[in-house]
Parts: sequence; structure tokens; C-alpha cells
Amino acid sequence: MNAGATPEALSKARISLRESAIAFYTLWKREMVRYLKDPLDTIVPPILDVILFILIFGIALGVRLGEVGGFPYIQFMLPGLLMMSVIMNSFYNPAYSVFQSRWQGNIFDFLSSPLSYTQMATAIILAGVCRGLLVGGIVLAAALLLTDLPFAHPPLVIAELLLVAVAFAGFGCVVGLWTKGWDGVNAISLFLLDPLVMLGGVFYSPEMLEGVPPLEALTRWNPFTYLIGTFRYAVLGLELEGMSPWPGLALSALLAVGMLAWAIALFRRGYHLKS
Amino acid sequence: MNEVAIAFEGLTKTYTAKGKRVEAVKRLTLTIERGEFFGLLGPNGAGKTTTIGVIAGTVKPTAGSVRVFGLDAVRDYRKVHKLVGVMPQEEALDSWFLNVREILVYSAGYFGLAPREARRRADALLKRFDLWDKRKAEVKELSGGMKRRLMLAKALIHDPEILILDEPTAGADVALRRQLWALMRELNAQGKTILLTTHYLEEAEELCGRVAILDQGELVAVGPPEELTKRVGGDVVEIELDARPAALEAAKGLKALAAKVKAKAGTTLKDGKLVLPGTLEDPAVLETLSELARAGVKIRAIHAHRARLEDVFVELTRGLKA
Ligand SMILES: Nc1ncnc2c1ncn2[C@@H]1O[C@H](COP(=O)(O)OP(=O)(O)OP(=O)(O)O)[C@@H](O)[C@H]1O
Ligand SMILES: [Mg+2]
Repeated sequence: MNAGATPEALSKARISLRESAIAFYTLWKREMVRYLKDPLDTIVPPILDVILFILIFGIALGVRLGEVGGFPYIQFMLPGLLMMSVIMNSFYNPAYSVFQSRWQGNIFDFLSSPLSYTQMATAIILAGVCRGLLVGGIVLAAALLLTDLPFAHPPLVIAELLLVAVAFAGFGCVVGLWTKGWDGVNAISLFLLDPLVMLGGVFYSPEMLEGVPPLEALTRWNPFTYLIGTFRYAVLGLELEGMSPWPGLALSALLAVGMLAWAIALFRRGYHLKS
Repeated sequence: MNEVAIAFEGLTKTYTAKGKRVEAVKRLTLTIERGEFFGLLGPNGAGKTTTIGVIAGTVKPTAGSVRVFGLDAVRDYRKVHKLVGVMPQEEALDSWFLNVREILVYSAGYFGLAPREARRRADALLKRFDLWDKRKAEVKELSGGMKRRLMLAKALIHDPEILILDEPTAGADVALRRQLWALMRELNAQGKTILLTTHYLEEAEELCGRVAILDQGELVAVGPPEELTKRVGGDVVEIELDARPAALEAAKGLKALAAKVKAKAGTTLKDGKLVLPGTLEDPAVLETLSELARAGVKIRAIHAHRARLEDVFVELTRGLKA
């Protein structure tokens, strides 16, 4: 296959499994350190946001809202908030990091290294998943100080968290490659993710909107409703009318696999990476 | 037996930007042997960085191939990258949150070096390149010269077989340039194959065993600098005559001189300046001088000019554009 390759060079060019693993680990670590170095910029704000949501909606207004599906409003809302934190944080890390590396030029370090394109994409996405789960974990810990959650189906809780984190970290990676400026990432989050999340039943169940047909339709047609619905079922054991958890789980799995494959394919093609 | 380090085979790269096609590299075929100090020369936009980019993993070739020790740079990119250290033209340091030492340690990691070994190599290079005192500094605290040295250290972190340097001395002052030259020479002496791109012909003459001249994506000459210079006519002697051409024409005995001038290829007489190929020891040159004296033509100045790579460069790259 390598006609003309000299044996000596070939032995120096060999990449052992250990070397490959170290390279992957190094890139993952870089992506982690990038945001852990400035927790005041990256970790604290989303957590403060969520805590404000909990205090205002969950506690102050929740008292007036009473129960939803047999649960106090704060308990009903928490799985939605958790999902929102995981979605946004998994997305932001790769989106900003990939764009920043392209813009700063240090993407050259990865492109000219023995890392494979698949490794580059997966290490970056894995770090995004870790950030999503880290922030989600902190939010959960904070929430558990205020209320209890039953965790009705633990394996499903874990599966749904992981799948959603992978899906949105993968999407973030794609956006980080696609965008031509910082604005692109913000635009995607502002015009696509925020509305979909907000209209995906983080704060309400679709039935609560029955008097508002356009909003109800938006919610019923919004795929995020099913992601959040499935997670809510996993945490609370609450199955809302017409919302079996399984389509949501299937959708999460599909998105996770699809986004991961998309990001890897773009890296392999050198999309916005190579000229 | 000579071992081929890099083989370009019909390498072609066409960029399409905003509907316009630019043929940056045109069917480049070139072989660089192991242990060579090879210079890639060419004016701005000649295609040097593009050529290197195919090996570095930043450019997708349109046609043709590059092999590094027989390995295809596109298909076997991972292995090729392990054998090659590239210092890019533009500063591209991962400086957002990493300090000088961390930049080297992370680079080592991408090449599969375990943390302890990565730190050991980073420290050795920091000391060797006079950056030890700056190891905890941020990149923005470094001078231009320090950044260059850091970029060179980064290219060397995995102890590559081949070192590719894209205009490493551009904008460097004399002292830094000398320092970088010494480092490059030392690395070459230790057996590293070096591919250097440069605008400084003096640099290529000084360092490179062979050079290739690219112009508008085309290879226009390859060979040792001395050989290329010879090809363009070698050394010349310039004689500034103290008279206008019109006066000269009238001067007695210039007919004979003109005949001589025509007899020797490469001799020109223009604006009162007579340019002869050869050196001052050359009998033909000496004869011409005495002939001028006999004709009563006064000589204002004589410059013996050793032909340089620059002359070749100017001749070849201008020839194509005309
Ligand atoms: N990404 C790109 N898209 C479109 N055209 C490009 C791109 N990169 C380079 N070119 C064009 O290709 C040609 C060769 O550029 P290249 O950077 O390889 O030249 P160079 O020899 O390195 O020049 P310099 O000495 O200025 O660094 C130029 O005409 C340049 O404008
Ligand atoms: Mg260049």
C-alpha cells in the first residue's frame, strides 16, 4: 500500500494506541481547561440564570401555579430547566471553541498533528458533553437543596442526559465550523435554540396552553417538547397526555448519532478548516 | 543510497474564491532528499505556503500528490504529520489561555507524548531557545523574536525527521536572523531535513544546498545556488565610463571595442555603463580595459560584482511576467 516507503521512516511514523489515546486526551483536556480556567465567565453565569429561574418561577410564582400533573410546580419545572442547561452548555462549548481556534489560527495545531479528524471532532464534542453535564450537575445539586425529585427511572435519566448532551455538543461543533464570526453562534442560540427550548415545555405542559392554539401547536410540533417530555418522565415518572417517552428517546438517539456523524464528516471534509 | 524525504508529483492547487480561479500551484514535481537543506523561493503569491500546506494538512490538493518518506500526505496524513514539524508563516499560537510552556506541553500531547516526557521536552527546548525566563509568560508578553523562537520550538517538540519553515526570518532583525540561521544549521547538521521558504535570497545562498524557484505556481529553476547563478551568466564587471554614449560613439577605436562587445555574449553597453561577464582576473576583461585606455575613454569606476542568486531570481521571475 505504501509503495516507496522506507522501513525506517515507517517505524517512526507508526502511531501506537497509547500515543493515539494521549493525543485524544490532550485535545479533550485543552477543551476542558479552556472553560474551566475562567469559571466566572463560563460556569457561573448559566448557573446563576437557572437559580434565578428556580427562585422566581419555581418558588415565587410556583405557589400560585399550584400542581401540574400531580407535582408541585417547582418539581415539574426542574427537569425542564436541567435539560435547558445541558442543551445550552453542551452547545456553547464546541461552538465557541471551534470558531475561536479557527479565528485565532491554533486549529493548525490539531490539523498538523497525528490526531485523526474523527478524534478531533469527538474530543471536542466530548468536552462539550462534559460541560453540559457539569453545569447540569451543579444545577441539580442546587435544586435538591430546595426540593426533592423522585428520579423515577434512573437509567432513562442517564441515557436521556447523555444523548441530549451529545446531540447538542455535536450541533455546536457543526455551528463552530460553519460560522464566519462570533455573531453566528449567538444568532443560532438566540433565534433557534432559545425559542425552541422555551417553547419546548420547560415551564409548562402542552395542556396548559389549550386556550392558546398557536402556542399549543408550536409546542406540539416542537421536537424539543419530546426531548424534555422524556426527561421529565424519567425524573418524575410523569407521562403527560399524548406524550409517550419513547418517541422522545428515539429522537434523542437519532439526533445524537446524526449530529456526531455530521460533525465528524465536516472535519473529515476539512469544511472551513482547509482551503 | 539517497533516501527521498519529500516527493511532489504533479502537485496542483486551484483556489476558487468568489468565482475567480487562482492556480496557486501548477503541476509541481520536485524531490527533496533526506538530510538536505532545501530552499523554496518565490515572490509574494508564488505558491510557497500553498505547497507546504498540503503537507501540513491545511490545503487540499486539486491534483497530484506529495509523498513524505513514501507516505501519501493526504491518505496517510496522521503518519506524515508525525514525521514532519511545520512552523507556519502566520503566528498561530494557542494563546487564549495557555502560557508559553503550556503551549509546548499541549503541542507535545497532540503528538502522543506522555505528560512527563512532554514537560521534559518543552523545558529542554525553552532552555535551548532562550525562553526559559519567559516560560510562565503569556504570548502577548513576548517580543516578535521570542514568538518566532517559540514557534520553532513548537515545530520541533516531537523531534520530527523533516522540519518545514515558512519564512521563519521574515521581519526579523539581523541579530535574530543570525540566531535562527545558527539554529537551523545546527538542526540540519544533526540530520534533520529542512525545507525553508524565504524571500531573502541571501538567506537561501547562505543556508541551502539546493533551491527551487517558484513563480506564479510554476517551478522555474532547481539546483544548488551556485549552479543557478552560473546559469544566468556568473560574475560580472561593470565599468562606468566617463562619457556619454554619443561621445563614446565618436571616440577613436570604439568600433573595435564594439566588435569585441558583440563577440562576447552577455556584454552590454548602455547609459555609459559597460557590463562584462567575468571577473577582474579574466584576460578578456583586462584586455577590454586596456583597449578603453588606448581609445582614450576615461573610466570613472569599476565594480566587480559577483553574480548572486538575486540575479537569477530577478531574471527568472521577471521573464515569466513579461
Ligand atoms: N485560501 C485561499 N483562497 C484563495 N486564494 C488563495 C488562498 N490562499 C492563497 N491563495 C492564492 O494563491 C496564490 C499563492 O498563495 P501562497 O500563499 O501559496 O503564496 P506564497 O508564495 O506563500 O506567498 P508569500 O510569499 O506572500 O507568503 C496567491 O495568488 C494567493 O492569492
Ligand atoms: Mg507564504
